[in-house]
Amino acid sequence: MGTGQAIYAGWMEIPTSAVNEEARRRAEDAAIAALVDQYAGALYRVAYSVLRNATDAEDAVQEAFLRVLRHRDTLDEVRDQRVWLIRIVWNIALDRKRRAKTRPETDDVSELARVLPATGLSAEELAAAAEHHAHVLTCVERLPAKEREVLLLSAFEELTSVEIAAVLEITESSVRSRLFRARNLMAELLDHDSSLR
Amino acid sequence: MSSNLHNAMSSDSGPSSGEDTLRLIASLPAPAGLEERVHKALRAAPRSGRVLAWPQRFRARIASGTVMESNWMRAAAAAAIVFVVVGGGWGVYSRVQPGQAGKGLVMPQLMPSSGGLSGSGAIRTPVTIPGPKVGEQGTQTAKKPAVPKKAASGQHPEGEATPQPAVSQ
Repeated sequence: MGTGQAIYAGWMEIPTSAVNEEARRRAEDAAIAALVDQYAGALYRVAYSVLRNATDAEDAVQEAFLRVLRHRDTLDEVRDQRVWLIRIVWNIALDRKRRAKTRPETDDVSELARVLPATGLSAEELAAAAEHHAHVLTCVERLPAKEREVLLLSAFEELTSVEIAAVLEITESSVRSRLFRARNLMAELLDHDSSLR
Repeated sequence: MSSNLHNAMSSDSGPSSGEDTLRLIASLPAPAGLEERVHKALRAAPRSGRVLAWPQRFRARIASGTVMESNWMRAAAAAAIVFVVVGGGWGVYSRVQPGQAGKGLVMPQLMPSSGGLSGSGAIRTPVTIPGPKVGEQGTQTAKKPAVPKKAASGQHPEGEATPQPAVSQ
């Protein structure tokens, strides 16, 4: 059908361009809906690893997809949509965490005790595990920002070093060196704290 | 080189490094109904991303290229706005004359109150307001007082009194 042609619906003439526009919009909506179904869970986990709060993480995921909706015109130009989405939600989560610095750490412990798997654990064991995890997370917070970010992202099994480098916009060798330093620092911090106890 | 860091880490990092905690958090399942809530939020979001958007009937024609490319339209609209703003500014600038010297009116001073009493709004009137009276030159010389003639009464010029005649009793 040419550009100048039109579709006749009864007595009303509908220009072809309007039909194309509507079809294009529907295709974009369908593509975004598919992205939500495919990657919402992964994005939630990335956001949760930074924010450690279920509500904040879900808000970050929603905000990420709203940004995608605003930039839906450029959706076709994205090469790796998964890394692109993770980078969006990663930046949103970091920004939110920077703004919500006032939240006490006790909230993290109670939140961890609530969400961690409790199969086969008594209440006391569960509380002890939550306390241990909270201690580890406290040590993670004491790491320098660059090392901490690489350490957090490296915990995701689905992310390779190349993808982590793409998310953080650094080279792959930088990812490896930062991860090496992060692990050494973490070991020092945990040893230091265990010797104090 | 695309390698999975998780495998590399798990080979030589024990549980004391704390990465088991991070891995546990990274593997937490997403809450139920997350996708539905995101879909709902996307449906409720406003569709137009631009502050100034073309009307629907123009947008459809612009997108199809039958009227004009949208970039050309935007450039022409931007040029028109710049032309109007610059032209208006130049019009104002060309009409405004440079400022003249101020013709200030000197207000009369209020009389200072003395002794704690107010001046009741009295205004000192300068003495120069009536102005000097300048008369004609001829009228001033004509009004000189006349000098009496000395020879008319027969008096001595030295002022001596004339001898009076003796009176016999």
